[in-house]
Amino acid sequence: MTQQHERAFVRMDGVGHRYDPAPDAPMAVQDINLEIHRHEFVAVVGPSGCGKSTLLRMVSGLLIPSHGEVSVFGKQVDGPRDDVGIVFQKPTLLPWLSVRKNVLFPLKHKYGRYNRQDEKRADELLAIAGLETFGDKMPDELSGGMQQRVGIVRALLLNPDILLMDEPFSALDAMTREQIGFDLLKIWNEQPKTVLFITHSISEAVLLADRVLVMSKRPGTVLDLIDIDLPRPRSADTIREPRFSELTDRIRKHIYEPEAVA
Amino acid sequence: MNPKPSPDSRLQQQLLRFAPGLFFVGLIVLWEAVCRLAQLPTFVLPAPSAIFHAFLNVEFSRWMEHLWATLSVALMGFAISIAISIPLAIAMMRSELLSRTLYPLLVVIQSTPVVAVAPLIIVLMGSDDPSRVLITCLLTFFPLVVSTATGINETPAELIELSRSLDAPIRRETWQIRIPYAIPHIFSGLKVAITLAIIGAVVAEFVAAEEGLGYFIQFSTSFFKIPQAFAGLFFLAFISLILFKSVQWVQQIFFGWSLPKKK
Repeated sequence: MTQQHERAFVRMDGVGHRYDPAPDAPMAVQDINLEIHRHEFVAVVGPSGCGKSTLLRMVSGLLIPSHGEVSVFGKQVDGPRDDVGIVFQKPTLLPWLSVRKNVLFPLKHKYGRYNRQDEKRADELLAIAGLETFGDKMPDELSGGMQQRVGIVRALLLNPDILLMDEPFSALDAMTREQIGFDLLKIWNEQPKTVLFITHSISEAVLLADRVLVMSKRPGTVLDLIDIDLPRPRSADTIREPRFSELTDRIRKHIYEPEAVA
Repeated sequence: MNPKPSPDSRLQQQLLRFAPGLFFVGLIVLWEAVCRLAQLPTFVLPAPSAIFHAFLNVEFSRWMEHLWATLSVALMGFAISIAISIPLAIAMMRSELLSRTLYPLLVVIQSTPVVAVAPLIIVLMGSDDPSRVLITCLLTFFPLVVSTATGINETPAELIELSRSLDAPIRRETWQIRIPYAIPHIFSGLKVAITLAIIGAVVAEFVAAEEGLGYFIQFSTSFFKIPQAFAGLFFLAFISLILFKSVQWVQQIFFGWSLPKKK
């Protein structure tokens, strides 16, 4: 939380969306007001189907909200924007390309080519992710955790301002998951990005983020926006701090208590 | 933990390895024995030895002529089928209208027994190679369209989103993502289609031809040269197998990544 909070980088004003255009159709998300600062790490937690991914797709411009407005750096998002990197739940690497070529794929796909310098950058990014010796390997020769790290590196290739991560670690086993979380923080530290990170895991959200957005059941609204005032750099020790449990408990209450009442 | 496999398990491994070959040889020996012991006349069921002799009795150059006649029709039909069906599947994937319009027609073509249509095609187009190639095409076309379309549609949605978010041209989405993803499916279609191509060529020869392995089998049968007909049949099966294997080799050599990983 020692980040300089400049003016809002990503901004959502009264954002809502219904997939079905009929006026009485249910809203997927509604009344979202959110400001994300530059190079801030915001995690989003909430029950399944609460529209977390909808939120993410709105920032990427893949989805234009039916209500309200999303803007990035003061400019309204009205279509796919190429200054975002997306990391999916599964690595979704291309099985016929080597790791290096997978990382370079966004360039090849967008412009049809890449040069020597791009290859150098791909290798540098792979090195940051601890994958410097795996450039020539094929994706299926890598473990699930390594594949997902390649997915993150691929998202960083075009040096996007915003990194969107849609439950990126949920397909990994618990131990790999914790490790890759710290790896992500290390990468984020060296390549500062504005991160919107969607997860099912409350502890993961608290461990990684500057702020955690807690969403309600469908239609998804903001239940709480919590400052995570844990010191950085975070490590396995962070989990043992009393403040960590306080924060996770506070989120857990939001998730479970409405159900107890209902 | 198990440095030396016990003799039992080693025997078992050897058995697993040679079982298919042994079974095949056993079957032939059994066949030969049944024919000899029951003294079956060769026009009912010829013994393998009789078939082998019949095979050698036909000149090699004659075999090659018949083989070439069948193979050229089959491969030509197969090639034309590929050239039409894969672009068509891609076009159908691109356009909802096209796919809605053409799919019922494709199903009708597929549901029509080509064997029954073959005489009509020959009447319509004459008894030359083009009509035989057409029959082969009709038979091989459908599995290729379906497998290609299936493959293209199974491209992970995330990659399509990635492509959209990069604002890449649609032709790169097709060439760099969708078609490569369809490769494993296209190859299963090709494996089905190559054997169907041989069937198509043979069916066409049954209806009207002066050479080819299908013609050879039919004419041998009509002259009661049953061992010779069997020889033709086995030769045909062998060729079909080689073609099937060739498709597998092509996949292995050029698209090795698309094969399931061996443990």
